[in-house]
Amino acid sequence: MTTVRGDARIEIDWTRCDGHGLCHALLPARIGRDEWGFPIIWKPTVTTAETAEVRRAVAACPALALRLDSTQIR
Amino acid sequence: MTALAHRPGPPPALDTTAWAVGAPRLLAGLERVQRLDLAGHRAVHGPIRGTDRDLLLSHLDVAGVAGRGGAGFPLAAKIRALAGGPAHIVVNGTESEPASRKDRVLLLRTPHLVLDGALAVAASVRARDVTVAVHSEDIAATVRAAIAERSDAHRVSVRVIVGGFVSGEARAVVRALRGGPALPTGRRTPPTADGVLLANAETLAQVAVLLRLGPYRFAETGTRDEPGTTLISVGGAVGRPGVIEIPFGTPLGIVLAAVGSAEPQAIVVGGYHGGWHAPNPQLRLSRAGLATAGGTLGAGVVLVVGRDTCAIGELARVADWLAAESAGQCGPCVFGLPALARDVAALVAGRRRAVASTLGHARAVDGRGACAHPDGAARFVTSAVHLLRDEANRHLKARSCGRPVLGHLPLGTR
Repeated sequence: MTTVRGDARIEIDWTRCDGHGLCHALLPARIGRDEWGFPIIWKPTVTTAETAEVRRAVAACPALALRLDSTQIR
Repeated sequence: MTALAHRPGPPPALDTTAWAVGAPRLLAGLERVQRLDLAGHRAVHGPIRGTDRDLLLSHLDVAGVAGRGGAGFPLAAKIRALAGGPAHIVVNGTESEPASRKDRVLLLRTPHLVLDGALAVAASVRARDVTVAVHSEDIAATVRAAIAERSDAHRVSVRVIVGGFVSGEARAVVRALRGGPALPTGRRTPPTADGVLLANAETLAQVAVLLRLGPYRFAETGTRDEPGTTLISVGGAVGRPGVIEIPFGTPLGIVLAAVGSAEPQAIVVGGYHGGWHAPNPQLRLSRAGLATAGGTLGAGVVLVVGRDTCAIGELARVADWLAAESAGQCGPCVFGLPALARDVAALVAGRRRAVASTLGHARAVDGRGACAHPDGAARFVTSAVHLLRDEANRHLKARSCGRPVLGHLPLGTR
């Protein structure tokens, strides 16, 4: 997956994530779950067109662990 | 498998044996004395030239000085990344890797070299203060004694940070210094974004050497891409364990001969976030040499696994330790590292599919934490499973390789 300039990235704050699984439920094509229920991000980069649906998942995370990071420092 | 406690009671006194292969730089003058006081330090190393930011950066760029705490991040890049506003220098002397001793050997035996480097960097970026972070009171006392000897160290203080393996991680140290827990932060923001320049103790001692020699004499030893010397902590099944200063690129065989190691079964390089390697005497001890061999030099730990111990049992002890050292913050690490340790125990017991399960759980934890602990644990276990395939088969066929677990890989020497 190449990161195009301007793309944002899904980040997880692992110190907050409790594996509730809402991100997987809302973005099943993008986020899976491991055997303990914690998210596995299949597709971290988010194009401008995809931002809205990812933002909904970010807002739904009960642990405030899911983030959409638009700064390309990687 | 021999049952050994994770953290045996009082820590044993630190063995500060140290010597150089080739001409000593960091360890200069320590052939004759246990500790260089300020007068002794000045007699051995001479005066240090003052520096401004531009000169320091050009020296660091030419000499390619990379961090010696494990990550190998260029010091010049950290200085350039410092945010405007007041800067603070942190000397990371916490040295949380169980088999690593080199930073404490420097702080105990030649503390003024570390302070010279820290003060030079502080002056060049006009830092407000310098904090030396260490893990124990005895190290703190020796650094305080060194500070008291100097007239230029009034802005230097010492702080003891209590904690396990991951508490020595850069952001965990900074968090502890601010009064928080000594735990990695959830956001991967580098300390420099907040005006904190944190560098490993050896890195700053190298700066002190660099400023005295200049970048060209500094590069008279080592390799073209990695000039100079580096400290390695050598232990395990060796006759003379110790901290050794070597030119970058020194072949493993020379180091093994220097410590009196006869025919290792395997070696571990880079500590318990590093990797297992066949004891190839041609292996070059440099970041590039280890990268070529699929490993990492890390903070310079080199451990010898002898032929008389059960290598998979040694791996199992370390896998248990790595699981116990999780800070308990991140789910994949909390659940994944114990699963990985159970996989390795299954390898020892010779269960079928243990190899596949081990490799699967190693992949499952890699990159999924606030710090690099799960990544490092995965790297360590994966490299061992690949190297020890024949050993695993012996356990599979006979439930044992017939050798005891001798504890060649030390745990909890803090």
